[in-house]
Amino acid sequence: MTDALENIAISISTLDSSDHAKAVVTDALSQGFSPTEIAEKGIRRGLQIVGEKYEASEYFLSELLYAGSLVSDLFELLKPSMKNNQLERKGVIVLGTVRGDIHDLGKNIFKMLADSSGFEVHDLGVDVEPTAFVDQVKESRPQVLGLSALLTTALMEMKSTLDALRAAGVKGNLKVLLGGNAVKKEFGVEIGADATALDAVEGLEICRGWTKK
Amino acid sequence: MSTLRERFNAVIHLRKPDVLPWLENVYDETLVEWLQQGLPPERVTVIDWEMGRGGTSLANMTTIKGFNPYPLFGCQSLYGSLLQVDIGPIPRFKQRLLKETDRHLEFITETGAIARRSKTGKYAWYNMPMFVEFPTKDRETWHKYRERLNPEDPRRYPKDWDSEAYIKSFESYQDGNTMMRFNGFYGFGAEIMGIPTFNLMFYKDPELIHDMIEYWEYFTVETIRSAVETLQDRIDVVYLWEDFADRHGPCISPKLFKEFFLPHYKRVTGFLAKNKIDRVLMDSDGNINPILDLVAESGINGLWPLEVNSGMNAIEVRKKYGDKFFLIGNLDKSELAKGGQSMKKEVDSKVPVLKELGGYIPGADHVIPVEMTLERFKEYAEYIKPMLAY
Repeated sequence: MTDALENIAISISTLDSSDHAKAVVTDALSQGFSPTEIAEKGIRRGLQIVGEKYEASEYFLSELLYAGSLVSDLFELLKPSMKNNQLERKGVIVLGTVRGDIHDLGKNIFKMLADSSGFEVHDLGVDVEPTAFVDQVKESRPQVLGLSALLTTALMEMKSTLDALRAAGVKGNLKVLLGGNAVKKEFGVEIGADATALDAVEGLEICRGWTKK
Repeated sequence: MSTLRERFNAVIHLRKPDVLPWLENVYDETLVEWLQQGLPPERVTVIDWEMGRGGTSLANMTTIKGFNPYPLFGCQSLYGSLLQVDIGPIPRFKQRLLKETDRHLEFITETGAIARRSKTGKYAWYNMPMFVEFPTKDRETWHKYRERLNPEDPRRYPKDWDSEAYIKSFESYQDGNTMMRFNGFYGFGAEIMGIPTFNLMFYKDPELIHDMIEYWEYFTVETIRSAVETLQDRIDVVYLWEDFADRHGPCISPKLFKEFFLPHYKRVTGFLAKNKIDRVLMDSDGNINPILDLVAESGINGLWPLEVNSGMNAIEVRKKYGDKFFLIGNLDKSELAKGGQSMKKEVDSKVPVLKELGGYIPGADHVIPVEMTLERFKEYAEYIKPMLAY
């Protein structure tokens, strides 16, 4: 990695001020790096380091949210230069909080990370009917369906959603990822989900593993 | 034989009681389930006098004050006798319905947040509302909100506040602990700003966070001053609501905790200690392990609920931190709710060991969930009670 791109990754991973991070990206653009290179080898690399620091308990929620906000500022800055530079899509994720649950804090953090890391994310919001997940899966053909629940009373809705996917014949190779405070790994195994993530960063790593080309 | 209060005080001061207390917190909607499952209402309903339903006449009327299921099962409420000092915004925001769809209701709450709740689910409140907007977003809205946090407002104390009467009442109460409760620094900020915005502001506008935390220290100390200086150690424990962690760990890093919270905690717990209140219990869900050294340094010396699903283990905390903390909870509520061998295994794995290690009060690792049936709670009660005596 060249210095300019590495500087971007460092700027994000050390939680620089937004103004300084923008200056570092502007510098890389002026050196002739394409927006795609900047996004892939600078910004996303920086976010990945933040994720690693989070998993190592060096960073916590504040740092994760700030890094996400920083990345969002930098993508805004890149937007005008990106017209002819389509970013590589890492995969497609359909996401939502299951029926009976209206909480979305964890889901939104996962969405922000997945989006910034190059996934195409279709977020169906909260209190989502199993049939709505099925319809979106048919339409978007994702590799991953992420189901979120904070409440223990909504856990069985995760099973209902999986049942609906199977009944509609769309489970096939689709990977189903569970997340949210109510969910334990054993529960995921019990209802036949492909994986359960304890937090947003672990969820993103699982998606990366599933969609690796 | 000791009273329930004496037992509680023995454990929180890491002394050996004759019998361990057992503390639970039964959620209202769980109780409604239990009433439908055969819990005799006449055994748990509290009826008492009230002056003309809120003071509308001078007649002393009897009224249903609420429910107290704890003695029936042989446990005590976590909250005991609570001194109600009002730390909320005064004047309150007028709670009202803002929006209704076929599935949801949106309200403005008394604290000025907009909360959405489901109208289709069986449980209205157990399913916790989702807060979609908060009254504090930036410096300007914080300054506006702060106008409602005047510690001198006489409405902050109970209508019947009277030093001598309260001293007598707090001295004679023996059915459990006496407690004072208010929000800690994270709980306060997250409640009026929302978790994402509050957490972001530590980096985006640290001066705003310093200002908020500094004011909260001033506000809480000045608000509780009269009660604390009057009642002193007749208040057994001060309860701080924080909820600053999820399964991964604390929402804010040890570094931020140290910089933004630690000096303020020390001043609040120092003020309490100066008035002989030496037990401060922190309520935080989630994995708080990474921050426990700093929590101990801040003068907090009690932990509840020690959520198992987030990796908290009371035996490990006791072994690592010795007598720095008294511990309450840590029995996995979902295992207790399963009953039978799952419940017994969970109780057996913790209670006998912690009873010997000391400084531990058994209980579920948060409120008793609606999934816990009355029969299973009775089974749990019958199983745990014989273990409590020394």
